Amino acid sequence: MALTGCAGSTSSAAGENNPDGPLKVIVLGGIGAEGVLANNAATSVTAAQASVAAVNADGGILGKQIEIEVIDDRADPTVAVTKLREKLSAGNKPVAVMNSGPSTVAEAILPILTQNKILSFNIGPTATSADPGVSPYNFDLSPSVQDYIDGFVPQIKDQKHQNVAVLHGSSATGELFGKLTESTFAASGLTVSGNQGYDNASLDMTPQLERLKSGNPDVLVLDSYGAPLAYVLQGIEKLGWDIPVIGNNSVAATSLIATEPPTGVLGTSQVENLTMQVFQSTKYDPKNEKLNAAVKLMAETGTIGSSLILAYNYDSMWLLKAAAESANSLDAESLSAALVDNKVQEAANTQMIPKYSFAKDAHAPHMAPEHFVFISPSKLVNGQFQ
Amino acid sequence: MTIIWSGMAIGAVYALVAIGYNIVFLSQKTFNFAQASLMMLGAFITYLGIVVLGLHWWLVGIGAAIIIGAIAALEERIAIRPVKDMHNLLVTTLGASIILQGVAQLIWGGEPYRVPFFAGDGVVEVLGGNVYPVEIALVLVVILLVVALTQFAKHSLVGIALMGMSENREAAQLRGVDVRRFAFLAFAFTGVLAGAMGLFVGPKTYAVATLGASLALKGFVVLAIGGFGSLSGTLAGGLIVGLAEALASRYIGADFANLSVFIILVVILMAKPTGLFTRRKERTV
Repeated sequence: MALTGCAGSTSSAAGENNPDGPLKVIVLGGIGAEGVLANNAATSVTAAQASVAAVNADGGILGKQIEIEVIDDRADPTVAVTKLREKLSAGNKPVAVMNSGPSTVAEAILPILTQNKILSFNIGPTATSADPGVSPYNFDLSPSVQDYIDGFVPQIKDQKHQNVAVLHGSSATGELFGKLTESTFAASGLTVSGNQGYDNASLDMTPQLERLKSGNPDVLVLDSYGAPLAYVLQGIEKLGWDIPVIGNNSVAATSLIATEPPTGVLGTSQVENLTMQVFQSTKYDPKNEKLNAAVKLMAETGTIGSSLILAYNYDSMWLLKAAAESANSLDAESLSAALVDNKVQEAANTQMIPKYSFAKDAHAPHMAPEHFVFISPSKLVNGQFQ
Repeated sequence: MTIIWSGMAIGAVYALVAIGYNIVFLSQKTFNFAQASLMMLGAFITYLGIVVLGLHWWLVGIGAAIIIGAIAALEERIAIRPVKDMHNLLVTTLGASIILQGVAQLIWGGEPYRVPFFAGDGVVEVLGGNVYPVEIALVLVVILLVVALTQFAKHSLVGIALMGMSENREAAQLRGVDVRRFAFLAFAFTGVLAGAMGLFVGPKTYAVATLGASLALKGFVVLAIGGFGSLSGTLAGGLIVGLAEALASRYIGADFANLSVFIILVVILMAKPTGLFTRRKERTV
C-alpha cells in the first residue's frame, strides 16, 4: 500500500523509465463536452498534435521523439482528475501536461501536477495558476484581462476618441473587464462616459445601450460573447446609433460575426462599425510563412473548431523543446527555470503569441499592445480572419 | 418609445411561455418546466426550415407546430403520465427540459443562429420609437392569442370541458369528460403553440440553446403576477415584467432590472396573493 501510494509522486519523468522510448505529453481537452467548449478543445488538441509532428520533424526534444496522449475530460474537473490519476498511477509519468481549459479543470488538476512535479501549460487560468509559489511548474498561456485592456488604449487614442462607453457581460471575466477598463482608461487620460453591465441571460440590450448613448460617447468598447452579442448588435441597429464599436476577443470568438446571412450577420449593417481585438496570428497574413505553415499543418492534422486564439498548445510544445534543450534536462524544476529565461522564450520561436514573457514571479504571458491588431469582421478560415 | 417597444416585445415572449404554463396548469394542475425549452426548439426548427432548407415561412410554421407538438406529446407520455404523485411532475418535467436543452447543445452548440422574419428585418419607426417588425408582430400575436384562447375556453365544448377540469377534475369526469385525453391534448397543444411561435420568437431572440433557461424563470414570474390559470393575466404580467426590466435597465441600471421585477412580484403577491387576475375562491369547511 505504501509503495503504491508513493508511486504517483515519485515516478521519474518520461524517458527515464524507458530511456529509449518516446517522450510522453498528455493533452487534456473537453472534446466530448457540449457546444463551444468542444470546439475550443478540438482546436487546442489539434494544435498540440500538429506541434508534435512539427517538433518531431525538427529532431524531437533532446534527440527523442514525442508521443502525445489525449485525455477527453469532457471539460469536467472530476473526469479530468480521475483520468489523470489513472495515468499517473500506471507509473508512466509524462514530461508535460497541457490543459485546454476551462479553468475549473485547471483548478482541479494543478495540485496533482505540482505534487508529482510535472511541468504544465494551461489555457484556463485560475486565481493562482500563474503564481509560482502555488503552482511552480505551471505556465499559463492566456494573457491577462489587463493585457487585453492595455491593448485598447493606443487604438482608441489613434482613432482620436476621447469619450468612451463600456458595455460588458455579467460573467466573472465580464465584470473584471468592466472594472479594469474604467480604471485603465481613466489612468490613460480617456473619459469613461458610461460603464454598463448586462445580465448574460438578458434577451434585449436596447435599454443599456440607450443609457450609454445618452452619455454621448465617441466609441463603444464591448465585451460580449454568443447570443448577448447578437442582442447588442440588434440594439445598436434599432437605436440607429452610428458609433464605432471595438469588441474584445470574446466578440471575435463569436461565429455569428464571421458568418454571412441568413445564418450570421457578416457584411450586414449591424457590423459595419465593428472592429475587434485579436492576436496578430488570428489575422491571416500571406507574408507570415512560418505561421501559415503551422496553420496548414494544423488543418491537415485535425479540426480547427474556433479561432486560433485557442491554439496556444502549438506554442507550448516549442516552449518545451527550447526549455529542455537549454536546461539539457526533462526535470520539471529545470524546465521551469529555463522557461523564465528570455533567451529560451525567443529560441522557442512561438507562432500564436510572438513572445510569452514569462517571469520568475509570474508564470503568465505578458502581451504588449503592439501584439494585438484591430480588424473588421471577416470570414474565419482555419481559425484565421481573412 | 424605443425602450417601451423593447419592453413590450420581451414581455410578449415571456407571456407566450406563461400561456403554455397556464394551459398545462388548467388541464393538469401542474407545470411543464420544459415549456420554455419547447419554445427554444421551435426557434431552432424555424431556423432549420427557413435558413437551412429554404422553405416557405408558413410551411415552416406548420412543420414546427407538428414537430414540437409531437415532442410535447412524447413528453406527456414519458414524463407526465407514468408519474403517480403530482409533486414528482415538477422533477420529471424539469428533467425533460434539461434533456431538450442538452439535445439542442449537441446538435447546434452554444452559438446563436439568426432567424429571418418573414415580414422583414429592417428597423421601422412606430409612434416615435424604433422597432423591428417582429417586435410589433409579437405584441399583436400574444394579444390575439389570449383573446382567441379566452373565447375558445368560454364558448367551445372542449374549452368548457377544460375549464371544468381545472375547477374539479373528478366532477368533470363524472359528467363524461375524458380528462386524460383532454389533458393529453392540452399538453400537446402547448407544443404546437411553441412550435408555431418559433416564427416570431426566433427572429427576436435568435435560435440559441440557452434560450429555454433565459425564458423559464421569467415565464413563471409573469404567471405569478397575472394569476395562475388566468390567460388575460399573462398579458398583464408580460407587460409588467417586460416594461419593468427595460425601464429599470435604462433609468436605474442593468443591475437593478431583475431586482425591480422581483420587487414588483413581491408587492403584487402581498397585495393580492392569487395574482392580479385570479379571484380567491371561498371554501366551506
